[in-house]
Amino acid sequence: MSSRKRRRHYKDIKCVFFPDEVENKFQKVNREPPSLSSVSSAKSWERCGDSFVDSPGIKSIKSSGRKLSAIRNLALSALESADHSNEDPVNIAWSSSDSEQSDDDTRQRHASRVVAQQQQQQRPQRPGRPTAPIQSYTTALRMLSTDKEELPVIDTDSDLDGSEEGFVIDSGQQISECESESLDGKQDLPLQLTNERGLEISGSGSDVVNDGHVMTSSTLDSECFPLQTGEGSKRSVSDWVRSAQAMLQTPQKPLDRQSKTPEDSAKKRRRFQSGGLAERLNRLQRRQRSAVSFWRHQSISDTSITATADKPGVLVLEVLEVQEECSMQLAHCEHHGPPGEGHRHNNPVSEKRARMLVLFNRETASQLIPAPGDIIHIYPPWQSLSIEGFSCDIILNTHFSQKVYSASKAANMFIPRGLLSAQRCSPYSLCKTFGLLEVCRTTEENSAKQTTVSGALCSFGGSGVLTRRCLSLLEAIEGLGQAGCVGQDVEVVVQRVYSIPVPDCSPMTILKPRVPSRSSSAPPAEKGKTRLCVLVQDSYGMFSAVQLHLLPCKDDLHEYCRMWQGRTCVLRDIKVVQRVTRERRTRLFSLIDSLWPPVMPLQDHGNTPSVSSESRPAGPAPSFCYLLSGQESSVEHADGQTLSPLYLPPTKLSLRDILQSDVKTCRCSFVATVIHKRIIQSSDVGQGEVWLVLTDPSLQEEQPERPCRRTVALCVNTSCVLTSSVLEALNSPAVCRMSFRDSIKEHGVLLCVEQSVVEMCSVDSGGRLESTTSGSESLSHSLCEPQAKTLSQPVRLDPLSPEITPNCLCSLTGVIVGVDENTAYSWPACNHCGSDNLEVLAERPEHFHCVSCKSVVDKPDTKIQLEVFLSSSLSNCTLKVKLQQKTIMSILNTAALEGDEFPGYDVENVLGKEVGPLAVYVRVVTRKPSLCMGLEEICL
Amino acid sequence: MFWSAMALGETRASFLPEVAEQLFRDIQKSQEETSQIPDDLLIALKFVFGPCALQALDLVDQRSVTRLSSPSGRKAFQVMGGSGRLYTCFVSCHYCPCPAFAYTVLRRNEGPLCKHILAVYLCQAIGVTQQESVSDEQMSTLLSGTTVS
Repeated sequence: MSSRKRRRHYKDIKCVFFPDEVENKFQKVNREPPSLSSVSSAKSWERCGDSFVDSPGIKSIKSSGRKLSAIRNLALSALESADHSNEDPVNIAWSSSDSEQSDDDTRQRHASRVVAQQQQQQRPQRPGRPTAPIQSYTTALRMLSTDKEELPVIDTDSDLDGSEEGFVIDSGQQISECESESLDGKQDLPLQLTNERGLEISGSGSDVVNDGHVMTSSTLDSECFPLQTGEGSKRSVSDWVRSAQAMLQTPQKPLDRQSKTPEDSAKKRRRFQSGGLAERLNRLQRRQRSAVSFWRHQSISDTSITATADKPGVLVLEVLEVQEECSMQLAHCEHHGPPGEGHRHNNPVSEKRARMLVLFNRETASQLIPAPGDIIHIYPPWQSLSIEGFSCDIILNTHFSQKVYSASKAANMFIPRGLLSAQRCSPYSLCKTFGLLEVCRTTEENSAKQTTVSGALCSFGGSGVLTRRCLSLLEAIEGLGQAGCVGQDVEVVVQRVYSIPVPDCSPMTILKPRVPSRSSSAPPAEKGKTRLCVLVQDSYGMFSAVQLHLLPCKDDLHEYCRMWQGRTCVLRDIKVVQRVTRERRTRLFSLIDSLWPPVMPLQDHGNTPSVSSESRPAGPAPSFCYLLSGQESSVEHADGQTLSPLYLPPTKLSLRDILQSDVKTCRCSFVATVIHKRIIQSSDVGQGEVWLVLTDPSLQEEQPERPCRRTVALCVNTSCVLTSSVLEALNSPAVCRMSFRDSIKEHGVLLCVEQSVVEMCSVDSGGRLESTTSGSESLSHSLCEPQAKTLSQPVRLDPLSPEITPNCLCSLTGVIVGVDENTAYSWPACNHCGSDNLEVLAERPEHFHCVSCKSVVDKPDTKIQLEVFLSSSLSNCTLKVKLQQKTIMSILNTAALEGDEFPGYDVENVLGKEVGPLAVYVRVVTRKPSLCMGLEEICL
Repeated sequence: MFWSAMALGETRASFLPEVAEQLFRDIQKSQEETSQIPDDLLIALKFVFGPCALQALDLVDQRSVTRLSSPSGRKAFQVMGGSGRLYTCFVSCHYCPCPAFAYTVLRRNEGPLCKHILAVYLCQAIGVTQQESVSDEQMSTLLSGTTVS
């Protein structure tokens, strides 16, 4: 025994057994009957908690202890029939200590015993192979890998028996170490049984995908339960054993073995050359392995697998014939349409179906046991290889395969294993070399020949394993790698760029913005951060909203619009945040709907890659999409500066077209003049809602045939981010022109929400508009230039009508029928600056000091607030109008002329006066019990 | 052609070699066009050749394959195994003196190739085969298998 061997042996003992029990333990394992041993081992494992405390490798002492004892127990039960193979059980015991799944150990025990006994009965020729105690993938996997070790090459060295326990643990240790140490050690011990096992186990453990363990274990797993519960499964014991044999009959790692021949392994490196192909494959393999085991785990727990078959990329195949070749199985299949249309038995007359050849590796095959008549689903990712001279494609990488219909089961037939097994094909001639050997890299020759072979291998779907650029968001997302990361790059068209407000870091600052301590701690720059977002679409038509980085400045949005919108970009390093449906995100989907149908035919997520180039007419808009997140670097130009043909730029319509369209809810883009702004809820634009009253020439011009409103209200929701130039314009009283992209028309009102973008339209350069919305410039020009010229002054307003909605403007003429005396008051204001912040001067009580302009106010203006009730042409309607100073003065001055007392005003003098036409803003409309409107006169 | 063979009920055509050959062609093409091998080809290789693929790629990374040619025009491949041992593989047929070939390929027909021959193909496809001239005498010794260097 080599020194290395001993070292490891020692280490293992130290961690697994309590030092004082080591010897004892061995004897128990070998000699004691199972019941006793279970008791004693349970006891010892109870104690082992203490001794394991400092052992870093073992986290959950209790559970592992329990499991170990259980498994040890099964192992022992198996041992009763075994002579020299006690190493296997102990392997199992050890390997299970790091299994993730905690199982009921009595069940395990029971199951294992049953199986062990069956083993004895059914397979007396293999007494020492306990196959049953399967608790979890890992254990099952490892156990099976020990079982498979029936290679004729191995000759058992019987005089090693005395120290076998040590080796056993050794191999167990190697198992748990996964791939790292497993392959060395072999070199010094040529063909020693226990060591051999250890190596094999670890080797196969490191290679789950390629050997049958995962599959076989799952099969076994599911079949253990009927046995133990005695439920009405039709599978007989012999049936079970048959399938077990099917899994176990062939040595599983022949290819691996070669590397472990003594002469070969002397220089075995664990590390592959950095940056080399082997390292890359190794990494891919590891990712694939975890994807496969995860998938397998899910597919076992998921009983309604067929329901998932309508996902894109699922191959539905009917097996016609199976042949076995080099331990792989090749199934000749017929490709069915999407499931649900009924398989062949209900639907014998169907169109000609594509033939396919599907290659299953050994473990998939041993799980599937494909037989003629079966229906098999193959989930993406899979690969399709077209071979020169072959009429049909060959499907590779079929790890995610599932049998959904078994012909033999349905027919209630019992087919002996021999018939089920695929026909083995004779070995290929060794003289048939695969090309390339004779060729000494005459490049010209090769490339000439290669032109015909273009991209024979297509991958469908990626599990994070394939990092080649992918064209489908769905594929990339549905084949997620770990931690929700999309491993593949996806090529998409950026349809829209917008920004969303980010909630302030401290919600307290929103709630109590005026608390001094708070406001000093939270700098004002902190609030109103925005996040850049893009709405992307892949060539299959699928959308995703991608949240990117925080924008340092809100105005940067336009830069990104220019850069990305309409271009083909590559998404990388994105994470999936959420899958959202139409119902949950109506706003987002209203934007998506505005981009549907696509301007060009989409690619089809067809079931075969061969038809993937075909296009189909766009169906209904997608009903779900994914929210993704990424960084700035997640979006990158794919090619050139040209706009993608799939890009659908926002079409700028006139307000008239928008208002008169029959669509109730839609996204629309337009350029309009803001004639009135009203900020609700907050003194600061950008914090609260902003109501704008808009008009454009199409509304202002003469409307002979189809009259339309002259103005329209638009609400800028707080979720719509306004850039600084827009804010500035909104805070100034001047009329301004703005472009509104992707605002929502809803119930006759326009809304700017999350995905809407408001921009200033600069009219200074001769009416030429500067719109940052790339791709739509020509459109907006054609619309805006005439607008800029023809918007009439003054703006025409609609007369007041009973149907008017709040936040609109209208013109009003009426007679004052009453004055709201409760709200009427007057106050002095500075005659210089108009401020009402005046202080009475102590020395001259009749004079004031203006705090704002720091001057002495000797003749203060008198400001008056006055709300009057008007009667207008609108009958049965109470109109209360808050008047502007100018109108008040004109009313009062005429009144003052009649009465000579000043400053007292007589209500009687005001009544009956006619006012108007006034431009009024509709604040409130109540229709019950009677129509009543609160209006406010405005200055246009 | 494959299907017709099936239909005629002839001896089942061996099919894996075609897959292997196509993969090698793809690898070669990809290497020529983009100077790299995409991940999915590696995955496909792994699927078809099993664990052998990883080891063969390691041999490729190590540039372990040498193409020997002698003045007489004979050619052979020499692959340096992980242990430093040299395996001579032939141009005209699949043969490798390694135990894996004897067991896996010849005896059990469980794999189409051993890692050494696979490495030869991969090196040829990628174009990283070392070239070396040997004397006719050396070549005949190698080909007759009388020495193990």
